[in-house]
Amino acid sequence: MSQRTERRGIHVDQSELLCKKGCGYYGNAAWQGLCSKCWREEYQRARQKQIQEDWALAEKLQREEEAAYASSHGSHPQAQAHSQPSLAPFSKFEEKKTNEKTRKVTTVKKFFSPSSRTTPKKETHESKTPSPSIARQSSIETDRVSREFVDFLKNLQKPGREIHKQSRAFIESMANKKDLSAEELSECVQDFYQNMSDRLMTHFKGSSERVERVMDQVEKYIMTRLYKSVFCPETTDDEKKDLATQHRIRALHWVTIQMLCVPVDEEIPEVSDSVVKAITDIIEMDSKRVPRDKLACITSCSKHIFNAIKVTKNEPASADDFLPTLIYIVLKANPPRLQSNIQYITRFCNPSRLMTGEDGYYFTNLCCAVAFIEKLDAQSLNLSPEDFERYMSGQASPRRQDEPDSWPQTGSSVNPALSQVYHNLDLLVGLNQRQEKVLEGARSLQTELTEWQESVTREVQEILERYPLDIRPHASAIDSENVENDRLPPPLQPQVFAG
Amino acid sequence: MAAGGTGGSNKTYSFKVVLLGEGCVGKTSLVLRYCENKFNDKHITTLQASFLTKKLNIAGKRVNLAIWDTAGQERFHALGPIYYRDSNGAILVYDITDEDSFQKVKNWVKELRKMLGNEICLCIVGNKIDLEKERHVSVEEAEGYAESVGAKHYHTSAKLNKGIEELFLDLCKRMMETAQAEERAKGNGASQTATSRRGVQIVDDEPQAATAAGGCCASG
Ligand SMILES: Nc1nc2c(ncn2[C@@H]2O[C@H](COP(=O)(O)OP(=O)(O)OP(=O)(O)O)[C@@H](O)[C@H]2O)c(=O)[nH]1
Ligand SMILES: [Mg+2]
Ligand SMILES: [Zn+2]
Repeated sequence: MSQRTERRGIHVDQSELLCKKGCGYYGNAAWQGLCSKCWREEYQRARQKQIQEDWALAEKLQREEEAAYASSHGSHPQAQAHSQPSLAPFSKFEEKKTNEKTRKVTTVKKFFSPSSRTTPKKETHESKTPSPSIARQSSIETDRVSREFVDFLKNLQKPGREIHKQSRAFIESMANKKDLSAEELSECVQDFYQNMSDRLMTHFKGSSERVERVMDQVEKYIMTRLYKSVFCPETTDDEKKDLATQHRIRALHWVTIQMLCVPVDEEIPEVSDSVVKAITDIIEMDSKRVPRDKLACITSCSKHIFNAIKVTKNEPASADDFLPTLIYIVLKANPPRLQSNIQYITRFCNPSRLMTGEDGYYFTNLCCAVAFIEKLDAQSLNLSPEDFERYMSGQASPRRQDEPDSWPQTGSSVNPALSQVYHNLDLLVGLNQRQEKVLEGARSLQTELTEWQESVTREVQEILERYPLDIRPHASAIDSENVENDRLPPPLQPQVFAG
Repeated sequence: MAAGGTGGSNKTYSFKVVLLGEGCVGKTSLVLRYCENKFNDKHITTLQASFLTKKLNIAGKRVNLAIWDTAGQERFHALGPIYYRDSNGAILVYDITDEDSFQKVKNWVKELRKMLGNEICLCIVGNKIDLEKERHVSVEEAEGYAESVGAKHYHTSAKLNKGIEELFLDLCKRMMETAQAEERAKGNGASQTATSRRGVQIVDDEPQAATAAGGCCASG
């Protein structure tokens, strides 16, 4: 909503009449205070457009949800007099919501103040979104998740409506907090989880299973929506860490299964199959938006690791088997944006999952694996410092240097050539997946561009209809004759609208 | 689903317990015995023994126990804090026939107390008491040490299934007490976490004005 207001807002102040870009030409309110040239530059960018569309879509959806919800619960939901226990505590939420509303208004005002130029800021914020097509995909996903959320909440009847309302209010309030630090954002989300689950706990009379089930849905709903703005935010050095880790893992390509004492024998087909699956799962994590879905990828990866160990050793894996294997898998997979994903899960996952659950255990091990990889030295691989240096610098490769027999423990008979083949196969699997993603992205970009073109036409039409007074015979004649001439400023007479 | 019956609060406690100790002292054997009642079973159906759970009912309260095995190899030692962060209890296992493993336990105690203070319930466990003849750690020394650091001491044998039920039951009771004490403290200190909510940052810079001009915007 704020987005729109901002774009079409009309400024009355004289100083506001010049193009906001400071190019010297007059700005036009319909072009967000820019001149025609700057406006074109600014808005003919697909990405920018995408952001706006996402917002519009999100809003439309919100309204639809509301309507769908209301209709499925009778037109007067408040009229039901037999109040349920959940309602009293929930009313506190109501207060908070109004608070957030007022705060929001303030921010909208901020948009209008001359000093704040929100557009470029927005853009840098979104610049990490890999491509507009992914944004498009994600809005479809948001759409689906929202519907699922409503469907789920319908079964809860009256409190369901409350939960929906609070979640929506929370997402709205978060839209105005983009300049907070990642830790502060995390705290907002965690506070919300806490509040919500406390109230649910009262409502479900302490049945934590039911509370968990609802909280999973709440997390899914709000994090699908917040993902873009809170994943790897610019206020952090997450991205830098991602790159560092990626380079580090690449530099450690020479580390062998034997050096890590990994109890898996990749010569067994079932084992190598599990290894490939584990690698695929951990790479897959980056494509999920909901913290819990990311966790599920880690868990699935871990299960494949356990299978590999079980088949190799014929006994259940202990932590001393599991951790080295996980380290090995991470080294082989070099998962995209590993640090960002870990940070995101830590900041925004429902804490009960992370603290005691099974997923939390695997996640903790992944954190351990990353910490180990970061600090790994000669000693941790039972190598001499000299060898370690030579391998790191690429002067020597352990495969050619050492006799296979001198490697400690399991699988000393593994043929280095064969393991290289496996390694290459794994890489191919990864590449294949990435290629498929790229293709998919290209396809949706195509449809999206078509849609975009249409919507621009539509929007221009709308604007023309909304400001009929702008079209004065001579002014519009000049304008229309000079559409191609970027140098020419828009009508000199600014339009002042009262209310 | 909820068993009802219990009356009053039927809150479920969730506890995280980490297993620490040198290699081969029997950590894995202890949990497998406790959670699956198995020892050295080659036909074990369990896929893994690094994360196991157990549901208990203690004095009408439901308890979900999550037992976290930790990698004990020396090169993973530095990762300890990542494992035991947020844990409610720690089981520190040594092998009664191995003096060194008892020294390791002492090191863990020091580290845990330093990092987590008294929040965490510590159990020191002398395992393999079926090998009493080969004992190298004296009962007096071990029990005395445990008392001196505010830990409880237990004697177990994973092989003979001795002392294990007691160990976990006792630990759960202590963790419940700690949790209840915490709840009481929280109750006194009003509504804790929620108060830390942000939102104060945005300052009202100018009143109204701008909104009036925006009246023509038919934004939704
Ligand atoms: N006699 C006897 N042997 C035991 C007992 N508990 C474990 N063991 C044996 O001790 C050896 C090590 O046991 P694990 O349970 O694997 O020890 P761990 O502490 O998990 O070792 P890591 O996973 O390497 O850290 C195995 O051979 C077990 O059979 C016990 O109570 N009595
Ligand atoms: Mg073990
Ligand atoms: Zn300009």
